[in-house]
Amino acid sequence: MYFLSLFRGLFYIWRYGIIWSITLVLSNTLGSVTSEHLLSHNTSWEGTSVFSLDVLLEIDMTEMFSTLYGQNEAQGPPGSTSLGFGPGKPTPPLPQNQVAMPGQLAPQPGDEGPVLRKPGAMNEPFYLLRELPVGNELTGNTNLITHYNLEHAYNRFCGKKVKEKLSNFLPELPGMIDCPGTQDGSSLRSLIEKPPVCGNSFSPLTGALLTGFRLHTGPLPEQYRLMHIQPPKKKSKHKHKHHRPQDPIPQETPSDSDPKKKKKKRDDDPDRKKKKKDKKKKKNRHSPDHPGLPCSQPNSSSLR
Amino acid sequence: MAERFDNLEEHLEKFVENIRQLGIIVSDFQPSSQTGLNQKLNFMISGLQDIEKCRQQLHEINVPLEAFEYIDQGRNPQLYTKECLERALAKNEQVKGKIDTMTKFKSLLISELGKVFPEEMAQYKAIHGEDHHS
Repeated sequence: MYFLSLFRGLFYIWRYGIIWSITLVLSNTLGSVTSEHLLSHNTSWEGTSVFSLDVLLEIDMTEMFSTLYGQNEAQGPPGSTSLGFGPGKPTPPLPQNQVAMPGQLAPQPGDEGPVLRKPGAMNEPFYLLRELPVGNELTGNTNLITHYNLEHAYNRFCGKKVKEKLSNFLPELPGMIDCPGTQDGSSLRSLIEKPPVCGNSFSPLTGALLTGFRLHTGPLPEQYRLMHIQPPKKKSKHKHKHHRPQDPIPQETPSDSDPKKKKKKRDDDPDRKKKKKDKKKKKNRHSPDHPGLPCSQPNSSSLR
Repeated sequence: MAERFDNLEEHLEKFVENIRQLGIIVSDFQPSSQTGLNQKLNFMISGLQDIEKCRQQLHEINVPLEAFEYIDQGRNPQLYTKECLERALAKNEQVKGKIDTMTKFKSLLISELGKVFPEEMAQYKAIHGEDHHS
């Protein structure tokens, strides 16, 4: 008997796999012991396994398998109650609209599985068929430049050649603006990273405060002179005098590039100033009327 | 909107001109120039006050940081606008090409599937209807 039961167990393991063997063990542990056959025999594992095999052979294997995985059928296994499984879930009546396909299961009322396992999806002829997404009106298929009315801007910037230098964008700005801002510490990035202290209101300087702005007479040292010198500009046909507001002081000669004022540029050079001074000194020395003191202060010809 | 830009531009130009003239005075200073210097300093302070008044009208204006990088390099910021437009157009063309390719592939696939699986494709078309892209 022992070897027969072992052979049967092995046979069913081979045929139905390990899962069936587990169900076999479960049925043995949960199986009813009301049978006289069980009571009369030993309660060894081999004996009960033989008894359960004989009973379950009468049951449809597929139905047994499906009940264990929570899917009720229209007809439950007849031997389930005898085995002590308890009453199963009440199966809902099939709706008349749905036609059950052969091999398919009835819809579950409380099944909240993924979208793919919904009854609608299961009954459609195409698995994983979903609704098409709602189309967007504005896609890359349309020309966005015409859509946002940027044709004029596009022709203006991309149709014509845009000059590279910053001085072409700001021609009236004095100073060397084409140089990188990191060289002289005038970069906008540093201004963003370390913003200056703001909040105080601007108040005009009083007499006492203006005493701090008393300067020494004479020209600037050479290291500070290059700050206001601009790069040589191209000769422009149209003069930009009308852009400049009316000022009491005349314009600076080093920034002007007109040929007429080039002579004044030459006069502003420090070397030529010295030469002129020397010449004046010589003239004064030779003149009888002059007291003899050289003219140390330069004329205001620089402010032209 | 252009008016407040013009107003700010005018104030900035005046301020820059004032600073430039201040630099001329300082470059070769004379005792008689002291009063002019003091006047220019006060003009500078009033110019800063005017610019600060203009700031309230322009608080909603946002400037991209990439444009600041162009200015720091001494380059024309209009080049940034130009490159933005060119990049937008290139990306637009690229996406349009993808859409056209996918549309052609879809129509080709439907036609070929219709030859191999006519019944299934008829069911598919009955479910989804005639797509206007095909």
